Amino acid sequence: MNSTPTLSLGPATTDRSARLRAALARRTEWRGLALLAVVVVATLSFEPLVFTAYPVTLGRVALIGLVALGLTAVILMGELDLSVASTLAVAGVVMASIPNVALGIVVALCAGLLIGLVNAFFVVKVGINSFIATLGMLFVLRGLAFVLSGEKPVRMADIEAGIAFGAPIIGPITPRVLIFVLVFIGLQIFVTKVRAGREFYAVGGNRQAARDAGIPVSRRLVTGFMLSGFVAALAGVINTMERTAADPTAGSTVLLASIAAAIIGGVALTGGRGSIVGTLVGALSLGIIEVGLTLSGVQVDVQQIFIGGVLLLAVITDPASFRAVVGNARSFLSGRRGETPA
Amino acid sequence: MTADQTTPEAPGPVVIEAESIVKRFGGATAVDDVSIAVRSGEIHGLVGENGAGKSTLMRILAGILTPDQGEVRVDGRPLTGGTRAALDAGIALVHQELSLVPELTTAENIMLGAFPTRLGFTNARQLRGVAATALREIGVSVDLDERVGRLSVALRQFVEIARAVARKPRVLILDEPTATLTPAETDYLLTMLQRLAEGGLAIIYISHRIPEIFRICDRVTVLRDGQLIGTTPIRATTPAALVDQMVGREYKLDLQIRRESTPGEVVLAARGVRAHRVHGVDLDVRAGEIVGLGGLVGAGRTELVRAMIGADIRTAGRVTVTAHGRTRSISSYQSAVRNGVAYVPEERRTDGLALTMSVAENIALPNRRRLATGGVLRRSRVSAFAQRLADSVGLRPPDIRKDAGDYSGGNQQKIVIAKWLGRNPKVIVLDEPTRGVDVGAKAEIHRLIRELADQGTAVLVVSSDLPELLELSDVIHVIRDGRIAGTLSGPEADERSVMSLAAGGGMVGKA
Repeated sequence: MNSTPTLSLGPATTDRSARLRAALARRTEWRGLALLAVVVVATLSFEPLVFTAYPVTLGRVALIGLVALGLTAVILMGELDLSVASTLAVAGVVMASIPNVALGIVVALCAGLLIGLVNAFFVVKVGINSFIATLGMLFVLRGLAFVLSGEKPVRMADIEAGIAFGAPIIGPITPRVLIFVLVFIGLQIFVTKVRAGREFYAVGGNRQAARDAGIPVSRRLVTGFMLSGFVAALAGVINTMERTAADPTAGSTVLLASIAAAIIGGVALTGGRGSIVGTLVGALSLGIIEVGLTLSGVQVDVQQIFIGGVLLLAVITDPASFRAVVGNARSFLSGRRGETPA
Repeated sequence: MTADQTTPEAPGPVVIEAESIVKRFGGATAVDDVSIAVRSGEIHGLVGENGAGKSTLMRILAGILTPDQGEVRVDGRPLTGGTRAALDAGIALVHQELSLVPELTTAENIMLGAFPTRLGFTNARQLRGVAATALREIGVSVDLDERVGRLSVALRQFVEIARAVARKPRVLILDEPTATLTPAETDYLLTMLQRLAEGGLAIIYISHRIPEIFRICDRVTVLRDGQLIGTTPIRATTPAALVDQMVGREYKLDLQIRRESTPGEVVLAARGVRAHRVHGVDLDVRAGEIVGLGGLVGAGRTELVRAMIGADIRTAGRVTVTAHGRTRSISSYQSAVRNGVAYVPEERRTDGLALTMSVAENIALPNRRRLATGGVLRRSRVSAFAQRLADSVGLRPPDIRKDAGDYSGGNQQKIVIAKWLGRNPKVIVLDEPTRGVDVGAKAEIHRLIRELADQGTAVLVVSSDLPELLELSDVIHVIRDGRIAGTLSGPEADERSVMSLAAGGGMVGKA
């Protein structure tokens, strides 16, 4: 084998620091990290209370982040799950409607899995684009949450359990934050180490190639949607526990915030590109901004303008699109200057 | 290149055989009663024009498509159960269109669909180990942890082959593997395949390049219009006979006709062009002149032409188009088009055509202004206009209502050319105009390009196909590392001189 001729195509990096640099350049989270750094510095100077009152901040991050993490699994495969916020509401109402807390939690989580399965059915079997299929589910489930709840908040039967749940367990860490961290770790391991999770990237990056390589694409899609549904239901359960009541309108702001968190964190909507860490970074940035603005007394409407601006900034500064943006701007300007109309 | 380089004919037992395969798509029969058998240690060539059914037949062998009639057998056992079963039976297909996942690493792509696992967790060490072995086996060094999206096209092709080899296949099918490779890389690949065959592998090799078939194959099967024309030992046939069988008519390989040309004024002029991968290029193209850009893949030819016409960002330099005595500078792609530049891109499927629109609509696209009255397109005018252009480029069948995506590669390229012809371009830039196009369509596209030049259009052609470059060009600029390494014209331009400039002297590739 040693005698076989070899072909050298391009430089092979052997030295350590070059390899490290190359490895770092491959990461997709830089944009999110840079934004997070800016956000942290800005908040420290304008509203340091955000960090003094970190349990509040962490709670907000966990609310946006949990749903975003589940959603990331679906986006990595190049699909979208718009039904997450409605799933959250339905799961909350279902759980509160059942007197026994433990049974309620189990049934609510199963509902989440079932919703994921239905989404997957429409996408995989019926062949509807996931944007449309889950948009339909968004409306269906939102209506269902209102019908099940009789259009008003449902109180938990066992309010004691809810109050106990909201209390910090380890230092200032509430169960919500703990669950968020656990889901993060679980999903991170899933998409980096577990075979099925790694194959999500193949399904999103080049679906035909994934099929040709013998990857069970349909099964991966089902797994992804069920993951997303489960995590959204989990978020609904946590919400209900903390508030000791389920509100059918819960989570209405969560959907767009969670998609924004994933995008800021470098997850590509076209699939195949991004990471769970990136979504975490995105959720941290968004959570800190929201809490910071709230503490500074900025109204919720104005906060949305900020968040929209941050999202656009994040996408524009993506290294891939940055060059194009600069180039387009330049040719636009020079085009105006240097040309006589034909 | 001589017969004794090839392995003996029919060296081993039959590994894979397909019997009386029929495959229909809608009303069209893509494969019509074709049988083929390939032996262990044999390199079996498969040739035919585009649309002859080669790729369909191979997709059936690889389990991607199910035949309507007939049977595929591996070691005498019928093969059923799709891709998975075919992979398990040891059939590996290297696709024509690269099927890699850009965001996964080299190692992960090589092992795609076959990640070694322990309790569901991927075993990273074993994964890299097997991938490294596969790369060693084909003798190519690639960074295992690099994302495939960052590799060159040629490297990706070899990663794809490594993936097939990593499966320890018994049958290796390659569909046009050399379309994106330079002569040196092609040479390497062919030697490698011969070595793999000596190890007992059965190889099916699809190529449009006849010399490659004659260099490595033991037997060759010809398909035409979905039908089996015949299988012959390579020593019992000749390139001319093979081409005759493929096209079903007399066809001459006229590789060395050069046009008599009398170039006019400079129409397209570039001065000091710099861009990504382009480091300062001066270039003139005169009216009625065909200028060829040669060089290795990745030398910066595509980047150069795209920067020249404003399709990509130019960091420095000035490009002008002169027509009717007026010189205008090109600052954007829009201004290029407005001043009479037509561009036929390398990736015609993604960049050149709207595949789901009809031929007529595609042809009308850059000609909207002249076809519209008060901003409204007139259907009858569009049809007449498109039909005239479709006829002039020899579209077959000349049905302009069909979707562009329904046509074969060669015909699609004709549609792209046709839509620009409607604008009577002053300059036409063609990037790899005949890649993946069959012999017959190739000759027609060459004829079109010559006609354009004869009518006074300035033509700039990028091509990795050396005979094509030599045949078409009046002047050849060889690009190396983003600069013009040398300029050749007339008798001094031949395969050797182009290659030695492209490779930086010293090395001369075989073609």
